[in-house]
Amino acid sequence: MTADRADLRTASPRGYLTLGRTVAVPVRRVSVVTAVVLLLLTACAAVATLSLGRLGIPLADLAGALTGGAEGKDAFVLERLRGPRLVVAIGTGAALGLSGALFQSVTRNPLGSPDVIGLGSGAGAGAAFVALMLPDTVPVSVGALAGAVLAMVLVYVSTGTGFRNPARLVVAGIGVAAICTAVTQYVVYAMERDRAAVLSAYVNGSLSARAWDDAGTIWLVLLVAAPLCALIARRLDIGEMGDDIAAGLGSEPQRTKTLAVVLAIVLCAGAVSVAGPIAFISLTAAQIAKRVTRVSGPHLLLSAVTGALLLVLADLAAQQLPLFGNLPVGIYTMAIGGAYLGYLLTREWRRGVL
Amino acid sequence: MTTTAQAPPSGAGTSRTGAARRALTLIAGVAVLALAVCASVMYGSRSTSFADVVDVLSGTAGPNITTIVESRYPRTALGVLAGLCLAVAGTLMQGVSRNPLADPGLLGINAGASASIVTATAFLGATGATATMWWALPGALIAGVLVHVIGASGAGTGLVRLVLAGAVLSAVLMAYIQAVTLGRPKVFDSYRYWVVGALGGRDFDVFTAVLPFAAVGFVIALVLGPSLNTLALGDATAVSLGARPARVRAGGLLAATLLSAAATAAVGPIAFVGLAVPHVVRALVGVDFRLQIVFSAIAGPALLLAADVVGRIVLRPQELMVGVVTAFIGAPALLLAVRRMRGTT
Repeated sequence: MTADRADLRTASPRGYLTLGRTVAVPVRRVSVVTAVVLLLLTACAAVATLSLGRLGIPLADLAGALTGGAEGKDAFVLERLRGPRLVVAIGTGAALGLSGALFQSVTRNPLGSPDVIGLGSGAGAGAAFVALMLPDTVPVSVGALAGAVLAMVLVYVSTGTGFRNPARLVVAGIGVAAICTAVTQYVVYAMERDRAAVLSAYVNGSLSARAWDDAGTIWLVLLVAAPLCALIARRLDIGEMGDDIAAGLGSEPQRTKTLAVVLAIVLCAGAVSVAGPIAFISLTAAQIAKRVTRVSGPHLLLSAVTGALLLVLADLAAQQLPLFGNLPVGIYTMAIGGAYLGYLLTREWRRGVL
Repeated sequence: MTTTAQAPPSGAGTSRTGAARRALTLIAGVAVLALAVCASVMYGSRSTSFADVVDVLSGTAGPNITTIVESRYPRTALGVLAGLCLAVAGTLMQGVSRNPLADPGLLGINAGASASIVTATAFLGATGATATMWWALPGALIAGVLVHVIGASGAGTGLVRLVLAGAVLSAVLMAYIQAVTLGRPKVFDSYRYWVVGALGGRDFDVFTAVLPFAAVGFVIALVLGPSLNTLALGDATAVSLGARPARVRAGGLLAATLLSAAATAAVGPIAFVGLAVPHVVRALVGVDFRLQIVFSAIAGPALLLAADVVGRIVLRPQELMVGVVTAFIGAPALLLAVRRMRGTT
């Protein structure tokens, strides 16, 4: 710990991946190793996504198909059916993981996560409103962004103390999430009447029937946001020591936090606009990243990779588990992420946190 | 994290002006409930006038109007019963746990009852209103215990922990419920709206099946009123006054479970009625639990019926489920309660 602080004070590049004088991404060996392992696991899950099941591309043909030699059924599966869905899942998972890491770093609390404090539900309500009430006039991503911003303003105002008090933040978030879900339900019932599966997709988030357009949207958001995240990664790291120390080290904690919240909202809105309000990825990804590496810091890169892995795995389950048919992926993440959150809560509370 | 301790019942109960004001409030409350019942019978995809309703009641209306108005009797009856159950359950839970954020919906008890009902219907072949009601009970009980176990882990209990534990449990159970109901659309055709919380599409069988459980729960609540007042003074004082806090708590939670299970079996997992109504009632009649329970039993039905009427009007000729409307009305009550939370942990 003391060695770390000494590094920070002298702004030594050791332990940081630097680019000029402004960019310094914290890099530790354990993080690099973990990131490589997680990437490999994601690759395995991606291969399984493409090759399992009745329509899967056989493993032997997969390499050829990916390098452009796909024909007939394989080409259809790769280019239309599972390819875009997989690319959207990876991008959405990464965006959600990143968004969660940013928010948890700003609120310095695992519960200050977009899916607990109503950000995802707000974006989902905005996306549903624009997609169903104003089709083809306003892009869905703009609606998601507007919904996310509105939800955050509502949470910020109703706590009376901004994002500072975790207890108020969580309860206000639950209330705002309930209102936003009600808006989504109202919109879907007004426009789609009796289609229960449509409602479930809008309320829970789904990845079925995604196209390359969606993949383009989410990866564009990631491409814009990721460099900015790298830019503030070091200052966020310092900010976790507390505002006073951060200010003393010249990292302008308030500006950093504002920028981080804006980035988190944009990333979450982007993810929701292509996949709906998929629950608990942003919460669990950042927490798993933290627990696997056991070092401090916001773990932006690791959270992104973990988020991608989690969502690809959940979507693999949604496509291949015969038990429940073709459920929206959001139902799986809600069940599993919710159970993980329950475990996390009992553990943290037993140690007297929160 | 501190709980807002209820102030002891004030001496105002003996003063004459206080009694007069409460009588006025009671009359106003009953009038509002009567209005809500009238509106519930009058409005729908085909609205009727008050004169039509009077004609139907006196037996002089035409057959069409009679059918239309009478078709709204079951949902009105269910609305009154479920509103009463939810509001009184909320009042009991807030009193027993001394937690102003307690609500059978927020704490996952309604979700537990629904999950149990859905499981029994899908995998055990349970059908009929009475079987549904019996299955709702263990689900509500297990969910209530589970939330308290999660929420009470670690030193001290916080009201936020309970709410968060309830939200988590609700999320997981709702995921399960959706997985089961979406996978078996035929079995759950009649449950499609019930999953969100709806008064329509059910008949008097449901009402009669649920009524005994609701009645037992309500009677226990009325009996417990004075003890809850004593409990509000704090456990030590309550014991020295001859009360038995553990017994009162157990009785209160039993009644709340009965009422929540009855409401869920009747109309589905509706949240926020049990949260909002006790807050309004406390503002009107003060902290005496005997009064709170009686007034909740009037305000709860009025709120739920009003929400149902709104749901019938906003999407005509379609309907919006009452559970969606109560979230719109009730969730802001949670946001207001947040501002009053003391302690800045």
